[in-house]
Amino acid sequence: MSPLLPRDGSSTNIIEVANTPILWVFALAVFAVVIIQSLIYMKAAAKAGPAADISQTELRASFRAGAVAAVGPSLAVVLVSIALLSLFGTPAVLTRIGLVGSAATETASASIAAGTMGAELGGADYTQTVYAVAFTAMSLSGAMWMVCCLIFTPLLRRGDTKLRRVNPGLMAIIPTAALLGAFASLGVAELPKSGVHVLTVAASAAVMGMCLFLAKRLQAPWLREWGLGISIVLGLVIAYLAHTAGA
Amino acid sequence: MSNTAAGTNASALAEFDRTTSRWGQLTMIAALLLSLAGPAYLVFFADLGVTGTMVLTAALAVGASFFVLWFVEPITYYPVLGPAAMYQAFMIGNLANKLLPAAMVAQATIGAKSGTKKADFSAIMAICGAAMVHVLSMLIFVGLLGTWLLSLIPLEVMEVTRIYIFPAIIGAVIVQLVVSAKQPRITFVAVGVALLVVFVLVPLVPALAKLATGISVLVTAVLAWIVRDRNAAAGKAELVN
Repeated sequence: MSPLLPRDGSSTNIIEVANTPILWVFALAVFAVVIIQSLIYMKAAAKAGPAADISQTELRASFRAGAVAAVGPSLAVVLVSIALLSLFGTPAVLTRIGLVGSAATETASASIAAGTMGAELGGADYTQTVYAVAFTAMSLSGAMWMVCCLIFTPLLRRGDTKLRRVNPGLMAIIPTAALLGAFASLGVAELPKSGVHVLTVAASAAVMGMCLFLAKRLQAPWLREWGLGISIVLGLVIAYLAHTAGA
Repeated sequence: MSNTAAGTNASALAEFDRTTSRWGQLTMIAALLLSLAGPAYLVFFADLGVTGTMVLTAALAVGASFFVLWFVEPITYYPVLGPAAMYQAFMIGNLANKLLPAAMVAQATIGAKSGTKKADFSAIMAICGAAMVHVLSMLIFVGLLGTWLLSLIPLEVMEVTRIYIFPAIIGAVIVQLVVSAKQPRITFVAVGVALLVVFVLVPLVPALAKLATGISVLVTAVLAWIVRDRNAAAGKAELVN
């Protein structure tokens, strides 16, 4: 790789920019911080365990149970992440999708950001410049989640009554409405782009519907976890067939 | 238990709170800065022609769509997670689908009743376990294997993946949200507003295209509040992270 060649950002070779070594360094550093945090917490828990009426054996059993329970969901996130590599490059996928955010919010942010540049995520006008702006916008939005966590946690810890008095109806309706509003708008905006886009949205939606139905019917909760990954893969297969048939 | 033992316990627990709060905050701030360092490098040092206006416009458009969730999610999760686990959860992400189930499985495994200190500690250890598995599987399967896999995939498949990955995600995410929210009124409002904004408002006023998502979010939120079912008991909010 040869970083820092003169360039103007108009190239659509995203991976060249997205896999720059220094981005790898920052991404791995975030992973290191997560590991360090876990180690500090574990040490603190072991020390205060007797005071919390929990034995070292029970602490270890809890760690193991959490680890085992996370295997399925983690691999499901891996599948989604791999599908996104060509769009964002490995370091951005590792930090944005793997940690901090989720596939849904981060791709939504990237799509909105690309839209403000008059570009389409992954389209012919998805240049290095657009990628850099999209990556920055989704990282800033993700940072705001952490900033709010940093601000509200100490307040809630002190038992701030004002925050607890927020109308529970408001807290139930507004976030759901905001989420559905955002994703419905982004989904509808895909439709005018091309027939293949319409087909892909419909296929992905149908597969997810099927997964959720079967998860309930067959009592198979793993289908719920893997639903997004399965929908993406089958959606892309159908997009590929339609795209190559049309081209 | 004697008074001295109770006192020792209280001070041990207070020390645990201090340690996890202080280090939780410090590690979260570190992760926050490191996660911004990559984009900052691309903006300031990579000669990609990115301007401040571009970043500001994009950030405002994204913010208009998600600012409600920035505030609501931490407040909603606090009662479930407690202070120490908050700093873990908002760094690791994938809370609802991974960390919470892991914590509940662990508490059930050792028979800890929720609300007790024992349950809190069990949840923290479970999240640590989940974090380790998650970090390792991301590094191995995405960092190493995924990057290698990417070099094997034919260019044509890469192209198609890149063009259609977003529609392939969004269809599934909408269905997932609609099904888990179980709020037909809000769903109806959201889809109606989205259709009007994308097919009527934006063609009429093309300048609003950049803010289409933000407008849909705000209008949906206001309408959903106006047409809410005033008799129903408050349900649970839907969260994504």
